[in-house]
Amino acid sequence: MNTKLSAQKTGLGLGPRPQLAAWVHHHRQAAADSLQKMLMEPIATLLTLVAVGIALALPAALWLLLDNASAVASRVEAPTRLSLLLDDDSSFEAAERFADTLATRVDIAAVSVLHRDEALVLFATDTGLDSLLQGLQDNPLPHTLLVTPAVDVGTEQLEALADFLGGRPEVDEVVLDTRWIARLDTTIALVRQLVVGTGALMILGAILILANTIRLAIEARRDEIVVIKLIGGGDGFARRPFLYTGLWAGIGGGLLGALLVLGLFLFVSAPARSLLALYDSDFTLQGLGLVGVIRLTLMGGAIGLLSAAQAVTLHLRRIEPR
Amino acid sequence: MIEFDRVNKRFEHHDALRDISLTIDAGEMVFLTGHSGAGKSTFLRLLMLLERASSGTLTVNGRDISKVGRRGIARYRREFGIVFQDHQLLFDRSVYDNVALPLEISGFSQRDIERRVRAALDKVGLLDRENAQPALLSGGEQQRVGIARAVVARPKILLADEPTGNLDPQLSAEIMSLFEAFNRVGVTVVIASHDLALISRLRHRIITLKGGRLVGGGGQG
Repeated sequence: MNTKLSAQKTGLGLGPRPQLAAWVHHHRQAAADSLQKMLMEPIATLLTLVAVGIALALPAALWLLLDNASAVASRVEAPTRLSLLLDDDSSFEAAERFADTLATRVDIAAVSVLHRDEALVLFATDTGLDSLLQGLQDNPLPHTLLVTPAVDVGTEQLEALADFLGGRPEVDEVVLDTRWIARLDTTIALVRQLVVGTGALMILGAILILANTIRLAIEARRDEIVVIKLIGGGDGFARRPFLYTGLWAGIGGGLLGALLVLGLFLFVSAPARSLLALYDSDFTLQGLGLVGVIRLTLMGGAIGLLSAAQAVTLHLRRIEPR
Repeated sequence: MIEFDRVNKRFEHHDALRDISLTIDAGEMVFLTGHSGAGKSTFLRLLMLLERASSGTLTVNGRDISKVGRRGIARYRREFGIVFQDHQLLFDRSVYDNVALPLEISGFSQRDIERRVRAALDKVGLLDRENAQPALLSGGEQQRVGIARAVVARPKILLADEPTGNLDPQLSAEIMSLFEAFNRVGVTVVIASHDLALISRLRHRIITLKGGRLVGGGGQG
């Protein structure tokens, strides 16, 4: 109470606040000032945000595309079936016994036996070659086992299973068209790698754009920095407004990037749905989602902060009072 | 309060200060004079740690300032109020914000800042101009804003480098009496000035430098 009274008497108030409170206060002030300065130059700010937004939107959009593609691919993989064409000499009973032994394996979900006569009828109706087949004296088809692999069996395990089955003496030939799945998987992996590579380049571009923006901001406020250093402002005090400028520009760029991705998504979703409908797929497209928007915004913020820190380290130290 | 002990400052081609030894007591007001190039600026720059002495010891508030590291410079400078010949005001903000800057650096609360800025502006007679832009003020008013900024954090030492350099005699006298007023409440004041006519009327110690050497006013009082 005494301190307060004497402070009021001199009209000069209390001394500096505890370090932490002062630090928090200055952070809030620097954050607000930086934002205000950016809003006072809307065109320049918008250009920076658009540049950063595009740099973030392109990799994000490609990533989204890939996520959708791999989701479609994984749904395609599941119903893969192996057809085992058995040896010509094996009897239907032998085929059934063989089917029973296979059905006990963990990587096989179900095995059904298709009699050679049924197979011929199916083949005839499927192909419409009825009359031609009726002219045949013998049924050229063997008994066939239809093997459904377990759901969790991946492409590689499927190939291994096919190899194993092909090696059995009862089996004449294994028909498994996994090559296109392997191709799809490999293509997706390749494109993913490309997306990561180009994404890294785009993000590097965003960092350079932001770092340059901060450098210009530092140059524009050179006098202010000199005065601040002359009258006892530390590096932290001088640096803070620019770090916030970077943070805001990054967050703004990230948000704008998310908006661009959403726009792009709406733009392509109609033709993409028609394409899916052509394949009789009930697959629904995955958008960026709230989590994606938040993630992109945070990433923008991190990039902004990083760029600002780089620019500040490089340029602020060089500005010293002379 | 301020003690130079055999201080030398050598630049590449010349000695700016040679073998300076003197003491300025707490609460004293001294003038630092000499022709341009005599070493006045170097004297102040060493005190502000804009330069480091080549040899000798410079003690401020009982501390050997060669021990102040790069990171400690900002905090060290806050012990001073500094008035510049060209004011060094920021023209993109108001008089109030200019004067508030040292308090913001030191982390005062908004309420204390308001009170102190008003008190400082009142002392220099510019309370009614707190919202003005510095660029629209006269030279004398700008210098008074600079003085308000220098004293707003109530430093124990006030340094001024040619504070009346660009002002007419009457304004110069007014500025000097402002410094004397601060000195009367206990602030140690060091003013570099070449305006001999003005400072010799003021009856304070005059430290005279010539070619980097101390030629007068080295003794106390």
